[in-house]
Amino acid sequence: MYQYSEQDHQLLLERVEQFRGQVQRRLSGQLSEDEFKHQRLRNGLYLQLHAYMLRVAIPYGLLSSDQMRTLAHIARKYDKGYGHFSTRQNIQYNWPKLEDVPDILDDLASVEMHAIQTSGNCIRNTTSDPLAGVSRDELEDPRPYCELIRQWSTFHPEFNFLPRKFKIAVSGAAHDRAAVAVHDIGLRLIKNAEGETGFEVHVGGGLGRTPMIGKVIRTFLPKQDMLTYLEAILRVYNLLGRRDNLYKARIKILVHETGEEKFRELVEEEWQKIKASGLFLRDEDLTWIKGFFKDPEYETLPDRDAEFENLLLSNADFARWVDKNVELHKQSGYRIVYLSLKTAHQPPGDVTADQMDAIADLSDRYSLGQIRTTHRQNLVLSDVRLQDLPALWGELTALDLATPNYNHVTDIISCPGLDYCALATARSIPISQALTNRFDDYDYVNDLGDISINISGCINACGHHHVANIGILGVNKKGIEVYQLTLGGSAREDASIGKIIGPAFEADQIVDAVSDVLAVYLENREDPEETFLATYRRLGEAPFKERLYG
Amino acid sequence: MDNYIKDRKPDHDEWMPFTGLEEGSSLPSGDIYVPLEEWLQARETLLARNGRLGVAVRNTDNLGILKDDLERLDLVVLEFPKMADGRAFSQARLLRERYGFKGEIRATGDILHDQLFYMQRCGINGFEIREDQDISSSLKAFDEMTITYQPACDEEFPIWRREK
Amino acid sequence: MALQVYTASLLKEGLVAYLSLEDGSPSWTADIRQATAGHGELLDSLKAAAEKSAQDNLVVAPYAIDVLETDAGWMASTKREQIRAEGPTIRLPQDKSRESRRAA
Repeated sequence: MYQYSEQDHQLLLERVEQFRGQVQRRLSGQLSEDEFKHQRLRNGLYLQLHAYMLRVAIPYGLLSSDQMRTLAHIARKYDKGYGHFSTRQNIQYNWPKLEDVPDILDDLASVEMHAIQTSGNCIRNTTSDPLAGVSRDELEDPRPYCELIRQWSTFHPEFNFLPRKFKIAVSGAAHDRAAVAVHDIGLRLIKNAEGETGFEVHVGGGLGRTPMIGKVIRTFLPKQDMLTYLEAILRVYNLLGRRDNLYKARIKILVHETGEEKFRELVEEEWQKIKASGLFLRDEDLTWIKGFFKDPEYETLPDRDAEFENLLLSNADFARWVDKNVELHKQSGYRIVYLSLKTAHQPPGDVTADQMDAIADLSDRYSLGQIRTTHRQNLVLSDVRLQDLPALWGELTALDLATPNYNHVTDIISCPGLDYCALATARSIPISQALTNRFDDYDYVNDLGDISINISGCINACGHHHVANIGILGVNKKGIEVYQLTLGGSAREDASIGKIIGPAFEADQIVDAVSDVLAVYLENREDPEETFLATYRRLGEAPFKERLYG
Repeated sequence: MDNYIKDRKPDHDEWMPFTGLEEGSSLPSGDIYVPLEEWLQARETLLARNGRLGVAVRNTDNLGILKDDLERLDLVVLEFPKMADGRAFSQARLLRERYGFKGEIRATGDILHDQLFYMQRCGINGFEIREDQDISSSLKAFDEMTITYQPACDEEFPIWRREK
Repeated sequence: MALQVYTASLLKEGLVAYLSLEDGSPSWTADIRQATAGHGELLDSLKAAAEKSAQDNLVVAPYAIDVLETDAGWMASTKREQIRAEGPTIRLPQDKSRESRRAA
């Protein structure tokens, strides 16, 4: 992974001191809350329903074991012993004190971490494929490009007061595991007719109250031009994006109102003027950054292992876990392992400090000391030897991190909702727990196959309900929490926005409603290979509507 | 004392904003700046006068319209109507980098300590700090950060292309 | 007329607090049942005291909420404010080593 230079370290230390000064100015009254808010929000510090919340950046979802241990230490020392992995691959602490935050940032800086630009109207942490560098369907590792974007966007002097927040995702594989189509900018590495790799550039995707799939504004961008092109897009957005209405300030609205064609012209015109500037990426720049993400020295191993195969035959629980949570690796004899953060007894994405420490140790012993976070709020150990799977499985089971449900019905995304969030209008975690309790039967989970349920506790859609196969949106109707169902969304390469199926359900009806939707699918699928999404797309909403509302 | 910083030092503001151009015969002497529309309307009259000239633009103005006039101007005044409105950061960079403006670029409006570092990097060198702000504390803002990653008016190249 | 109490977040800790006014002297408590509820002139005094606390940088963003009287004392009338007063409605993740350290 990327190794900090002395200058990178220096920048973090200066930033901590700067923020310490801002906190002092706030505590002594020199800064009003309104003024301080701009500063704390540039540093991931929100004031939530019960307390401050600190969001820490995990650049493109990649953590070392030492970083994970520091996250555990912070959870114990300054918080209530746990953290929450978010849909943007970051981690959030729910109970820090304002006066402790500069010390927390010091601890983070000691392991090359920070909270820079994890909130506020600036370029946020760049997200990516959690299987970057190890998957079999990858064209090229996206992480070097993410790191270049991280450096370019960190304290960018021109783009720190944008009309609204700005999210970039980069994917380098055939399958999109980074949801590029629903980001302000999504970059997909592709090959052109000449066999060169470059980017397909998606702009103007996003969720929130006006969900949109991004438009491809450039079908092929040479890699060398990535940063100049991003700068051109951001400049057009900074100058022309709406600032009169908070809800119309995202770039998706600018693209929509300007028109895709005209927007493309504006960007291209700006880009022509800066494409030869200092941000042009020379071959040596790309070689330098790729040097940080070279393959580790994999052992030469057969893709079979006797102990593994014996356990697979003799232990049904192990076999289920392998079937659901283990994926093939590009390297023979290695596997990718998903750590499920989805059980009925802990909120989706939550991890205790004990679990974090244990995961760090497991990653050191079994997976080259690295951990990845996913936008579906799970973790990944990316480089596990096939022969180590039985032992790893045993340890993960003891830690309650081996629920066999990756990309299945109980692998639910949920925002913190009204249990934590000042913006929320309804609770989402209790709904996710009720659904998990109801569906927590392996045979049923297995039968349903690949499916996604996402829950948001308000229209801001942090739980990505629009792009779930089954989306649930909690709203407040005359003082009562009610839940709207949307069907048919997808966050993958076939991205689509789900459709609201009908009137909302009360909290005690929503689990039955989802259950009905699943039953309609099981009754109507052509064969067990046809996924929920495929069945919905084939049949449309009618049979589902009929069952739900008669 | 003005709450005014020029080239990273407290300074006395010699410029006068002026909007009374309908009485073209009674233009004051000294350094004045006028709104962009007035500049476009009364350019010749203004140029005939002794004293330096500046133009105040709105953050929605396209500055391409000024590019041939910049040699005759000593000041461009940019507006930051509220802290969160960062359009003029782009305007400043365009003035310096694309149109080669050498005079003062001044930030006015809701200007606090915490934007100064970024403004300076975008080529702004005059600052009308909000009246309730302590100017000596604001001056520290220029040196709080010494590391920059990306090119702007102060650096041609990103950090990975600079001499180590 | 509905009774109201003043609530805010403590600046340093960020935690939820309610205003209590006894003999004209204000204090902030984490327990909504200890808050002073009122309407009319009393509410005006609460508002003034709450705003003063914000100016003095003790609390952030004070506002009034409706309360109901119960046997146990004041209870917020909306779901949101009930959750704010009582904490998350779910069981928080339990970190064993933190708990044992706190017990020691």
